[in-house]
Amino acid sequence: MSDSIRPAALKALLTAAASLRNPELDAWTSAGGRVIGYYCPFIPEELFLAGGFLPFRMRGTGSTDTDQADAFFDHLNCPFVRHSFDLALRGDYSFLQGLVVGTGCDHLRRIYDNALHAPLEASFVYLLDHPRTMGSEEEGAEPIVRYYREQLSKLKEALENHFGVAVTVPALRAAISLCNETRRLQRRLYDLSVAPAPKVSASERAAVMMAGASMPKERYNALLSEALKELETAPETPGKALARLMIVGPAIEDPAFYEVFEEQGAAIVVDDTCFGARTVQALVDEEAPDPLTALAKYQVVDMPFCPKIGGSHAHRLRFIQEMVARYRVDGVIAQGYVSCDAWGCSYALLREAMQEAGIPYLRVEREYIHSESGQLSTRIQAFLETTGGRG
Amino acid sequence: MTLPAASQPADAYAQLKSEFGSMTAASFQGRMAEYVASGTPIVAGTDDFFPELFTAMEVPFYFVVRQGLELAFHVGKGPEAVDGYNELGGSSSLCSLQKAAAYLLMKGRLPKPSAIVMTSTSCDGQTAVNEMMANYAPWSDVPKMSFDASFEKDEASMEYLGKQWMRFIPLVEKATGRKFDLDRLKEVCEESNRQTRLLFDFQELRRAVPSPVRAEWGFLAYMAARWSGCGRPLATAWLQRLFDTTERRVRDGKGIDGVEEKIRYAWFDILPCWSDQLFPRLERELGAVNLMDLYGYSAPWPVIDTSTLETIFTSFAKRFLIGNPMTRQIFALSTVYGGDAVHIAKNFKCDAILMPSHVGHKDGAASHRVVHDLFREIGVPFLVVGCDVFDERYMTSDVVFNKIEAFFDTSGLRR
Ligand code: SF4
Ligand code: SF4
Repeated sequence: MSDSIRPAALKALLTAAASLRNPELDAWTSAGGRVIGYYCPFIPEELFLAGGFLPFRMRGTGSTDTDQADAFFDHLNCPFVRHSFDLALRGDYSFLQGLVVGTGCDHLRRIYDNALHAPLEASFVYLLDHPRTMGSEEEGAEPIVRYYREQLSKLKEALENHFGVAVTVPALRAAISLCNETRRLQRRLYDLSVAPAPKVSASERAAVMMAGASMPKERYNALLSEALKELETAPETPGKALARLMIVGPAIEDPAFYEVFEEQGAAIVVDDTCFGARTVQALVDEEAPDPLTALAKYQVVDMPFCPKIGGSHAHRLRFIQEMVARYRVDGVIAQGYVSCDAWGCSYALLREAMQEAGIPYLRVEREYIHSESGQLSTRIQAFLETTGGRG
Repeated sequence: MTLPAASQPADAYAQLKSEFGSMTAASFQGRMAEYVASGTPIVAGTDDFFPELFTAMEVPFYFVVRQGLELAFHVGKGPEAVDGYNELGGSSSLCSLQKAAAYLLMKGRLPKPSAIVMTSTSCDGQTAVNEMMANYAPWSDVPKMSFDASFEKDEASMEYLGKQWMRFIPLVEKATGRKFDLDRLKEVCEESNRQTRLLFDFQELRRAVPSPVRAEWGFLAYMAARWSGCGRPLATAWLQRLFDTTERRVRDGKGIDGVEEKIRYAWFDILPCWSDQLFPRLERELGAVNLMDLYGYSAPWPVIDTSTLETIFTSFAKRFLIGNPMTRQIFALSTVYGGDAVHIAKNFKCDAILMPSHVGHKDGAASHRVVHDLFREIGVPFLVVGCDVFDERYMTSDVVFNKIEAFFDTSGLRR
């Protein structure tokens, strides 16, 4: 499908991801709607939706440098953290009334400290203590789910007290069902890449996923549903990619990074990134007697995990292997930042597992803003020769 | 984090140093080769979460990161282990101590344990080594338990971790065949309480001007109380002698022999493995004395409440999360990290604070502004060094010395 005949709904979603503000968000704020920024998929957006807020996943879109953030963070710190915080310091996130940070990695956690210290404009800044281990096989995850439920309950109370809203059980149930609907639609988006020639590119798919955390959810679901209808019925694209790749690591917000792969004839058909396929694999239990427990369980047990969480490797590996089989992946790209120990360390184990499974594997260290393509292109070319184009 | 070579020259301290050596040799760590040879069941962990339990059960225990020190950096093999880790394809910016530990693990150089305990602290690197242990194929048959530490520090959060940790006891019993005895654990905990009290009292003596001892004695005291002799009367007696010797010195107004103390500073991180190249030179050339490091610093340790098994384990959680150096500062808000640095600066009458900003400490790197502003308020100059406290190749001790010297000059501290 050429660009000119892309569905209008898809174009609207791509536009929403291309900058922080988008028409849908602006319409929401102009009508007096409140927005809460949050930093990680471990923080359940259902809680914000149930309180009448628009949840906005923090990103660094549009950032060109980190001058201001560098007064708070060091060059040893994660560039994603620095770029997104820089935008916040510059006032680009002035549409937020609140910011919720999780206790994930050593870098991200400090956004909370620095947001208070700066201070940022948002009147509500909250640190959510989320678990960093999945628990032992011997004793299960039950105590951890219970603990996280308590932390979610504290966040709920803090939102209620600060903003004078009520986060009721029916509202939570409605939010869970709304977000599950988003997940179902996003799964269909990924299904478009099962075909030999994927009907959406990786950068488009990533943008659509990002848009999902940047605009009112009902509107997003409507747009995505409309875009999918057109894409699913569009004729198959002729030809096939030179190689079908899976990309793993922290969220990739700069489309230029995907384009380097696509320029070499490869298609990134699936991913395990923080905005990506991992977040749509499981659904939150809509029938559970206690919605907060359902949310905690989803976060602690059901959602495949990033490596910030102890005990996640085996889980993640299973997920990667399932995706490799389902999307007929020829090779796995492990990407991330030099400063990121969480992902970086996990790659020693992943490399070993990929070698054992005979899956070609390439490790790429990158910057937040993609600036250098030459060397990467050469490495990708060489890598594609090893994949043998099994797609 | 290194055993000091040139230490307090006074005889009493030489004697204490020699006793410390014997104590270490007789500790679980010192006898590890013997246990391996005799097939004695060993427990491994990723940190020293509750050493009292292992003393009480007489179950040899080691924690993996410390092996990076003992089996790599302390025997001149740190760089080799770091390079070996880099070839495994992990994180290039990981703490070099963790790199060394992970490398030793993956190369089969650590004793195979009978049980493993893991907890989600302190840094991301620690979680990474947890994962490597959990997935190391030759240890796949070893029973393991992985626990979640709360970032919150309220009573409920401490109970949350304490209750999880308690579940490790039956596993240790099963894996090692040793029986757990609550009364014995209580005894060990009482002894441990005496030790941490002495740690704190010894620290308080070090406020004196001139400083009676070098910072490294704080680290040795920590090792005696927590690593080599936790809950053992022998270590308590040693700590008491260290206290008495130092108290006499303070009473006599004596500083470190042969040093004219002109600048008092604290090195707010782990003592480097290359301490011997740096600190004696700072003393010699600038009269600059290091008063404190992160491991030698104890905020008052929470006392173990020995009423019940639950209170003991809740106290262990408190000790680990709000007593244990490093965990206390890293796995906490920037204001705790900065607050401790300020406390040291004020209470130990420091002229300056050096923030080594060890490359592994990403959380510390993200706290500089908070710390900077705290120091501006109290008017104490501070320097961010930016080195690797384990692997000197990252920044040599000469470069570090030059940075510090220039900093003392620009701050007008050189006298
Ligand atoms: S990319 Fe890594 S360092 Fe950055 S926020 Fe994510 S886990 Fe943390
Ligand atoms: S970074 Fe610090 S806390 Fe982590 S292992 Fe290294 S020295 Fe320990």
